[in-house]
Order: sequence, then C-alpha cells, then structure tokens
Amino acid sequence: MKRQPIDTYVARLDAEVRTAVHDNSAAGTEKRHDVIWADYDDPDRLRRTAGAIKQHTLENLDTYLPEVEKRLQENGTHVHWASDGDTANQAVLDILGKAGLKKLVKAKSMVSEETGLGEFLGENGIECVETDLGEFIVQIDGDHPSHIVKPIIHKNRRQIATSFERAGLGDYNDDPEVITRRARVHMRRQYLEAGAGLTGANFLVAESGRIVVVTNEGNSRFCLAPSRVHIAMVGIEKIIPRERDLSLFLNLLGRSATGQRLTVYTEFISGPRGQGQPDGPEEMHVILLDNRRSEVLASNCREILRCIRCGACLNVCPVYRQASGHAYRSVYPGPVGAVLSPLLSGEFRERADLPKASSLCGACNEVCPVDIPIPDLLLRLRDRAKVEGIPSPGVPPMGAWAVLATQPLVWRSALVAGRMINIVPRSLIPVPAFQAWQGKKDLPTWRGGKFRSWMKQRRERKEKN
Amino acid sequence: MSGDREEILKRVGEALAPLPERSPYPHYDTDLTVTFKDGSVDPWVRFKSMFAAVNGRVFESVSELGHWLLESGHTHGCCDPDLVDRLRTAFPEGLAMETGFDRARIDDYAFGITRARGAIAESGTLVLDDRTTWQRLAALAPWVHVAVLSRSDLWRDIPTAVDNLDDDPNVIWVTGPSKTADVEGILIEGVHGPGEQVCLLID
Amino acid sequence: MATCLCDAFYDDAARASVEVLEYLGCEVIFPGGQTCCGQPAFNGGDWKSSRRVVRHCAKVFAGDLPVIVPSGSCAAMILHGAGLAFENEPDREAIADLAGRTWEVMDFIVNGLGIESWPGAYPKRVAFHRSCHTRGTDSGPSAVQLLESIDGLDLVPFGESEQCCGFGGTFSVSFPNVSEAMGDLKLDHILEVGPEVLAAVDMGCVLHLAGLAQRKNRLIPMMHAAQILKDAVVGDTGVWPERRELASL
Repeated sequence: MKRQPIDTYVARLDAEVRTAVHDNSAAGTEKRHDVIWADYDDPDRLRRTAGAIKQHTLENLDTYLPEVEKRLQENGTHVHWASDGDTANQAVLDILGKAGLKKLVKAKSMVSEETGLGEFLGENGIECVETDLGEFIVQIDGDHPSHIVKPIIHKNRRQIATSFERAGLGDYNDDPEVITRRARVHMRRQYLEAGAGLTGANFLVAESGRIVVVTNEGNSRFCLAPSRVHIAMVGIEKIIPRERDLSLFLNLLGRSATGQRLTVYTEFISGPRGQGQPDGPEEMHVILLDNRRSEVLASNCREILRCIRCGACLNVCPVYRQASGHAYRSVYPGPVGAVLSPLLSGEFRERADLPKASSLCGACNEVCPVDIPIPDLLLRLRDRAKVEGIPSPGVPPMGAWAVLATQPLVWRSALVAGRMINIVPRSLIPVPAFQAWQGKKDLPTWRGGKFRSWMKQRRERKEKN
Repeated sequence: MSGDREEILKRVGEALAPLPERSPYPHYDTDLTVTFKDGSVDPWVRFKSMFAAVNGRVFESVSELGHWLLESGHTHGCCDPDLVDRLRTAFPEGLAMETGFDRARIDDYAFGITRARGAIAESGTLVLDDRTTWQRLAALAPWVHVAVLSRSDLWRDIPTAVDNLDDDPNVIWVTGPSKTADVEGILIEGVHGPGEQVCLLID
Repeated sequence: MATCLCDAFYDDAARASVEVLEYLGCEVIFPGGQTCCGQPAFNGGDWKSSRRVVRHCAKVFAGDLPVIVPSGSCAAMILHGAGLAFENEPDREAIADLAGRTWEVMDFIVNGLGIESWPGAYPKRVAFHRSCHTRGTDSGPSAVQLLESIDGLDLVPFGESEQCCGFGGTFSVSFPNVSEAMGDLKLDHILEVGPEVLAAVDMGCVLHLAGLAQRKNRLIPMMHAAQILKDAVVGDTGVWPERRELASL
C-alpha cells in the first residue's frame, strides 16, 4: 500500500535523533510557557494584538512597501528588489563584485536558505561562511538545518565533535565548551578576513526604515563590525508598521523562541556606520525579496505570512516531535512549514502531503505569537489538493460515504446489519484498530443500532405514561 | 532590478485588490507589554537584579572593577580614550590599557571598556550605539566587555527605550554575555561575543 | 446529536449523555434522520462531500433548539469547521444558524445550564484527557470542574497532557506510524500515574487509545466523562434518582 512520505520517514527515523528532537522541543515548549505566564496575566491578548498588527500590515503591503523603500533610502541604504531567489542571489553577487570582495560571513537567515545563496555563491567563486554555531556545523557537515531556530537539534555532541575533527578544527573533543571555544577562535579569522557580512532581518520598521536583527551569539554583530559592506536579505512580509510595535514583537519573540525575555543581542540598524565610528560597514544594502510571497498574499492562506519565525509551533507539535525537521523535505518544517513550504516552494503538488501530516490538534495556534490559525490553513490546503486532483496515499475517498450519510434509511439499516464501513468510514478507523478488526481483536464491539433502539423504547415508554 | 520593483508592487497590489476591506491598525497601549510596573522598586535595583539573572556583573566602584579584572586574570585591555585617565587613577597596579584597537592583535585584549548610551531597568539591558561606542570591536571582541553607564541614562522599561531610538544607525541592546545552546541544548557563554558582560556605574 | 462513533460503538456514552441531561431537567429530542457531522470528509480535504453531509445535518436539526453533542471534534466541526467549508456557499447562513446553537455536552452542562458541581460519589483515581478539538473552548475546563467536584473522585494530572493522542480521524489512518507513536507516548504518560479510569470528551480518542492499549496489554477502562457523571449518581444500583430541579444541585 502506498504510504504518506512523512509517516514512512517516522517509521525509519533513528531512535536517538527522535529522542533528541522530542526532548529538546518539549524543553522549549516548557520554557516558553513558564516565562510567558510568569510575566503576563493574559498572554493571549498580546498574541492577538501582534497578530492583528501583522494582518493589518500584510493587507496594506501595497502602501507599506514604497514607504519602507523611501525611509531606507533616506537613511543612506541601497534598496534592491528581487522577485525571486535567483535574482536575490545575483544581487548579492553583484554587490560583492562591485566592492571587490570574495568572501562573505553570514549570520543566520532563513531566506538565504530559501534562495540557496550559499551554494550559488560557492559556484561563483565566493567563499560564504556560516557564522551561527549551529549553521556552521550544518555547513561543515553538508547537512540541512532541521529547525528554524535551533538548526542542529537533531545532532548530539559526539556527532559534532567528529565533524569538527574532520573539518580540521582539532582532535576529537566532545565537551560542548571546548566545541564552542574552537568555533569562537576559528570564526574570528573569518570575520576579519571577509569584508562583507550578510544578515536577514527579524523586523523591518516602515516608519523609520530600521531593520532589527536578534541573536544570542553575537555573530551578526561580528559579521558587521569588521566589514565594509552589509547586505540584508529581507522577505517583504517582515515589515511592521511603527517603532512602538517593537516592544510587543520583541517581548513575544524571545519568549516564544527560547523562553528568554530578550535575546542577548537586539540590533537596530538604520544605515551604514555612524560618523566617527571606525568600525562597521560603509555601505548597506537591503534586498527586498518576494519569492512567491505575493502569491501567498493573494491566496486564502495569507495569514501564514504573519510568521515571525520563532519556532514555537515546531516545539509544541506532536508530529514534529516524532518526525524531526528533515521529514518535511523543505526549508521550513513543522506546522508553519506545512503551510508555507508547499506555497513558497512553487512545487505544491510535490509538497501537498505536508498539510496532511497533522491531527489538527491546534497546539500550534495556541503558542503562535501572532495567532496564526494554522489548522484552518492546513485544512484549506487539503481542500486545494483535493480540488486540484492531487492523489493522496492513505486518505480514503469519501464521496460514496457522503452519499450514504445523507440517506437516513440506508444509514440506519447499515447500523443494524453491522455494515460498519458504511457508518464509520474507513478513514476514521485507526490502522492498529483496523488491522485488529481484521483479526477481530481490538475494535470495540459493534453496537450499531443499540442507542437508537434504546432512545425509541424510551420515547414509547414516556408516551405511554 | 527596477523591473523587479514594478513587478513586485504590481503583484502585491493585485493580491490585495479583491479584499472587501483592509484590516485597520489596532489601537493598543504599549503598557500592555511592560513587566516592570511596581512603582516602589528603584529602577537601578531592578536593573541590577535582571542583569544578574542573565549573568551580567555590576560594579559601582572603579577600583572594585579594577581589582576584579586583576584577580580574574584579565590584565591587558583597551579603553575609550575619553575614559582612560579617570579609570587609570582608580585602578590597581598591574592592569595595562591601550586606547587604540589593533585588529591584528585582536586576541591580545582581554577586556574592552566602552561607554553605554543607556540601559533598560525592566530587562537588565545595556544600550550601545555608534555615537557613544568609541570602537565597535572593543565592545564585541574581548572576553570581558565593560559598559560604562551614568545613572541618569537608565530608562525604566522597553517602550521607553524604544521611544529613545534616535537616528544613530547602529543601536544594540545587550542583555548579558553572548551565549549558545546549539550543542544539545546546553548553555555555553562566550561564543563570538564577550563571555563576561560588565556594567560599571558612574555618576 | 449522537455522532457516528456512538452510533456504531459507544451507545453507552450517548445514553449517559441523554440520561444526564434528562436528570438535569431537559427534554431530549433525537431526530432519527441524523447521520454524521461531516468531519471525516472535511479533514481529508473533500469539502464537497463534507458539505453534502453538513447540509443534511442542518436539515435534520433545523429549528431553534440547542443541539448537544457528546464529542469535542463533532462539535468543533459544526461550530468552526463548517464555517470554513461554507465560506463561499450561498447557504452559509443556515449553517451559521446551526453553529450558533450547537454545544459540546460538558460545556452545555456548565455554561448552558449553569451547573457548577456534581452530586453523588465516584471513589476512583481518574485521569482526564482533554481531547484536542476542545482547544479554545470551555469544554475541557467544564469537564474538569464537574469531575473534580465529585465526592471521592481523585483527578490525577499526568505529563505532557496538552499533547495530542494521535487520533485526528483521517490522520490515524494515513499516518499510522506517527499516530501510533503519539498514542504510545500518551499512554505512557497516563499509565505512569496509575489511574483506574481514563475519561475523555471525544470517543475518537478513546477508540484510538483503547485499541492501542488492548493490543499492548495495557488496557484500563476508558469512557466519556458523561458516563462518570452518570455512574457517580446512579452508583451500583444503576437506577436514576428522581429528576432534580436545576436549582437544588
């Protein structure tokens, strides 16, 4: 029988990886819960307000985009527009070319994963170094991140130590402190040699043309302090309207992502370095990236663009905890990825199974700092897949059942005759139970018609009295 | 590239055109986000306790700071030229400070002393910017960063600090030493940035 | 609304719900033409088939009486899911009307009828699984409130209780490995605290967990919370006392 790819992935997943992912995710969920309830009486009010601000911005993006461009330019920042990933990558290459630079240090940026920037630059003679420790380890392993905030949640220290040894960073040593110190020493050389630094942006404030970049490691600061050129690649959905909104978003982001009130570093960058400052970029570029976001904006799933990439939904998702990020075969995994990846990848048919990998439990929406109704969006995408005729292994067809479910006489006689399949559709019987039913073991006793006859007798008795 | 600009704006416009109405900007009070509401607590006390909670160190005396640097083995560093004389007079013997920063000798500096623009009591955060930081790398590269703060520059809460974002192109909020938990979720301090974040209060 | 699962397997749960409501002074009408809430097709993405069934539902339950459902997911389907499926349909008003008077049974007892505590006794250790489709509603808290108030009932908390059991209807069939892993994990957490009974507000969860538990020899009694409400009052006699006035509870 043909299977759902994510289900097969789970069946084959290494137990050690599953445990690492599960435990780390559960810890993340707990930390978020503890800090947000310790600090706020009504976290849901903050989430809904933030959600409303994002929704407003998305629905008025046609006004905010030109406004943001104007402010950025007034701040002395060069603005580039990229309708797709290839254009964005080319823009980065051109900027480096004009500046005569051959090496780029990179802070963590999910959009650059989307566009495949690292690979593209490599093919074009530019050395591109990931500086976030997790992303660095992913890079030296030739691997892909499995979580949008904690990229190597699926690796343990032994694997990392082996990778470091292979990459020439010293003899095998799996002490996390040693690993981190080695990365620190190694990365300094990179920062000083590069000349150009690339970041994403967590937020782009329309009112001031300021970008906000948050990290704990300080790598984004170091990508910029010794560099001449700063390139920021920013999805068009990262805009927030006003500076005052920053208190709301920053308070939600840290708590939702890692259970911190604020990340260690929050950088507010509104142009090249200040006059008199000897360190820092002389040139700043912002690349505004569409890459199908406008398509999502046009669709009935536009709420997903509110996402601020905190990863809370991944942490709480029972399916993600069993499957790990790589199961989703996409840049964005987990609940947010199940909506975003089919839409942004341009390969809806190939990823139409992602929205199905959910029991629709709703835990994701409960923790989302911008209140995205993810289960509703998953359902809409399931509807779309059906309408487009995309086959879905393991999901039984419902047409015939639906006809029967509108014919009470047939329904009632099926109940009494024990024709289970007509009543409780194949799609509602869990496989272990169904398999057992074949062997007549675990499915509960068939009681079709019993409730109805009891109700009928009850009514007749009452009428007699 | 300009073709892309028109294309993107066109697509966005078309995407939004069918909407019967556009959601308004919600009115809300930023006060809703503030977690420091107790008026009886001195903001400086709040700052110290939050800063300590993220493993920051506070010194309220120059000589105490000097002794700590000495005892913890951080004897060579760099310092803002505007501050260096004042600090030298109160520091103990054995500490050497340069007023320049040589990238070629980046790891020679065990500590870097720079001025803070301000601080946020609510969250235990130091605020740096390009105007008041004599050299970005001095605040970033050494193992110990000392941010020198005047009490009058302490803001009460995050919305106030946001209101005070001005035209400085590089404002940084620092909440503790740099850290990572990428290796098995274990917290390690001192990744790319400082492993010790210090605040020196002067008036 | 009895729900298809109660129609097929869990008449006890439907009976208990009816009896509890009658005990509280309600007159319970059971329109015989009812079949299903339309959820299975909806979740699977076949909204066209689902709409067919929901329309039938709206016809069967036409009028202005409140519709009580002993299932969190079926209630959620009518209260929320149907709204999505009918967004662009000309008869969405009729569906909205049905949604406006549909209640999950625990929510109805506490918030519809104003019952704050439950009489009788039930001296057992009970674990309560707050089925996921009641998220964002008052069903879970209502059930907890009533169960906790019962004399002798020891409501035991267990780990990761907010996590889904893995049923999810079509999900458990199309993702059997994930579904089973989630169910096993849920059973581990529940059984760790040694309950004598598991109560839920959705029989789909019970179908799934009981099936898994039986296959792995870890079965404990699992039932709808309404059955506990009933057992607390009728006790060993199995006989309902005189119908109480709502005010005297």
